[in-house]
Amino acid sequence: MSGMTLATISHALAGRKVLDTVSLVVRPGEMVALVGPSGCGKSTLASVAAGILRPDKGRVLRQYKRHGMVFQQSRLLPWADARENIAFPLIVGGMAKREALARAEAAAEAVALLPEDLGKMPDQLSGGMRARVAIARALSIEPDFLIFDEPFAALDPALRRRLQDLVLELGEVRGFGGLFITHDLSEAARIADAIAVMERKGKGILGRLTPPGTRGMRSDDTIFAFVQDALYAETLLTDLVNVDERAVPLDCACDSLGPRRCC
Amino acid sequence: MTERPLIRAPLRARVGEWFEMAPVLAGQAVLWAGPPLLGLALFLGLWQWGHLTYGAFILPSPMQTLRAAFGVLTSVEGWVILGATILRVMIALTLSAVLGGGLGLLAGYGWFLRAMLAPVATILLGIPATAWVILTMIWFGPSHGAILFTMAIVTGPILYIGTVDAVLTRDRRLEDMAASFGAGRFERFRRVALRQILATLAPVLGITLALGFKVAIMAELVSNVAGIGAALAKSRAHMDIDMALAYVALAVMGLLAVEHGIIRPMQRRAGQWRRIGS
Ligand SMILES: Nc1ncnc2c1ncn2[C@@H]1O[C@H](COP(=O)(O)OP(=O)(O)O)[C@@H](O)[C@H]1O
Ligand SMILES: [Mg+2]
Repeated sequence: MSGMTLATISHALAGRKVLDTVSLVVRPGEMVALVGPSGCGKSTLASVAAGILRPDKGRVLRQYKRHGMVFQQSRLLPWADARENIAFPLIVGGMAKREALARAEAAAEAVALLPEDLGKMPDQLSGGMRARVAIARALSIEPDFLIFDEPFAALDPALRRRLQDLVLELGEVRGFGGLFITHDLSEAARIADAIAVMERKGKGILGRLTPPGTRGMRSDDTIFAFVQDALYAETLLTDLVNVDERAVPLDCACDSLGPRRCC
Repeated sequence: MTERPLIRAPLRARVGEWFEMAPVLAGQAVLWAGPPLLGLALFLGLWQWGHLTYGAFILPSPMQTLRAAFGVLTSVEGWVILGATILRVMIALTLSAVLGGGLGLLAGYGWFLRAMLAPVATILLGIPATAWVILTMIWFGPSHGAILFTMAIVTGPILYIGTVDAVLTRDRRLEDMAASFGAGRFERFRRVALRQILATLAPVLGITLALGFKVAIMAELVSNVAGIGAALAKSRAHMDIDMALAYVALAVMGLLAVEHGIIRPMQRRAGQWRRIGS
C-alpha cells in the first residue's frame, strides 16, 4: 500500500515564505484531497511532494514505488502527438522509444482515448482529451501513487464529472492512492477518502475532514450536505486559527463533521 | 490550421461542392493576390517607363534584366559567383550560430555571464554593418576572411540576444512536468528546453540569414572579392548596367526565397507552438 508523509515543510519562493511548517499525511491506500484558497501554496506543496522542488526545510517520506503527476492545464509537449506525450515519462526513464510508444497505447486505452486520437497534436485535441492524455501519461509508468494538481479546473462541469469518475474507476482498478488538489470542495468530497484544508498563505493544514461513506460511493445528496457543513466548519476553523496564529499540526482525523476544531 | 474536409468526400460531392464554392474561392483569391499583383505591375510599369524615357544604357528594361539574370543562372561563371556568396553566408552563419548561439545558451542559464555580456552585445549591435566593412578592410585587407569576419560580427550578436531571450522565455512548467517524472537536469534540457529554444530561435535564424546575405554583398562590393557584390562592382566598372541589375534582381529573388521558404514557415510553426503553450 502506498502513502506519503510531508513533515513540517517550509519553503520560500522569490524570497517570500510560501509554505510555513506545513504537514500532511496520506495514509497507505488513501486518496487525500487538498483544498484551500487560490495562492495558498497548494501547487508548491504538490511540487515538493513530486520531487520537483526540494523544500528549504522539512522532510518528505515516500512509501511507494513510483508516482505519476497530472497538472493543471495538462502541460503536454506541444511538438509531440498524444502517443509521444503519453510515452514521455517512459522515455525519460530510459525505455526504448518503440516499446514506450507501444505501452503508451495501453495507457491510452485505460483512459478511453481512441486510437485515431493518438496521432493528434495537443492543439488538435479538446480540453477534455488533453486531460485524458495527461492522465494516461501519468499512468504510463504504472505508478502506485498519483498527484493531481487541479487537473480539471478549466473544464465544464459535465466533463469534469466524467473525468472524476474516470479517476475513481482507475483508482479502484489499479489500486493507487494519492493526493488530489482542487479548490472545489464537492470535487474533493467526490474523489477523496479525506480532505485536508489548507489555510491562506500556506500557514499550514487547518484540519482534516472526512465525508461520510467511502470514496466513489457517496451520493450527490451526501456530497451536497457535506459541502454545506464543511463550508461552515471551515470558516470556524479559520477563526480559531486566527486567534492563536498557529496552524494546527496535521493528521488529525475528524470522525464526524461539525463546527469544531479537530485534534 | 486549415482543415480540408473536401478531400475525404466522394468525388461527385467534392466536385459539386467545388462548383458551389468556386465563385467564393475565386473572390477570396482576387482579394488575397489582387492588391500585391497590382502593386507589382505598377512597379514594373514605372520601371518600363523609366527605361523608355532614359534609354537602355541608364535603365535596362525589366525584360532585359530578366534575360540577363537567366543568363547568369544558366552559366557556369554565374553559378561560381552566386556560389561564392552563398558558401560565404553558410560558413559565416555557422560560425556566428556556434559562437553567438553557444554564448547565448551559457548566458541564458547563467546570470553572471548574461549581465557581463549585456553591454558588449548592445555596443556590437549599435555598430552599423558598413562600419564593420570598412574596419575589417583596414585590418585584414580585401580577403575572404575579412568578409566572413564582418558577417559573423554583424549576425553573431543578434543570434546571441535571440538565444538568451529564447532561454529566458521558455515555458519552465514543461520542465517541471519532466522533473515530476524523474528527468534530471540534462534530460530536461535535452528533451524539453532545447526544443523550445530552437523553435523560438528559428525565425531569428532566418532573419540573420537574410541580413548575412545583404552584408556579404556589401562587403564583397567594397573589397572586390569574388561573389555577387564583386560582380556588381565589375559590372559597374564595365558600365554593364544589364548585368548589375541582373545581380540585384537575383539578390532580391534570393532574399524573397529565404523570406518565404524559411523565415515565414518557421515563424508560423513557432507561433503554432506558442498558442498552446498554456
Ligand atoms: N515561481 C514562483 N516565484 C515566486 N512566487 C511564486 C512562484 N510560484 C508561486 N508563487 C507564489 O506562491 C504562492 C503559492 O502559489 P501556489 O502554490 O501556486 O498556490 P495555489 O496552487 O494554492 O494556488 C502564491 O502567492 C504565488 O504567488
Ligand atoms: Mg495551483
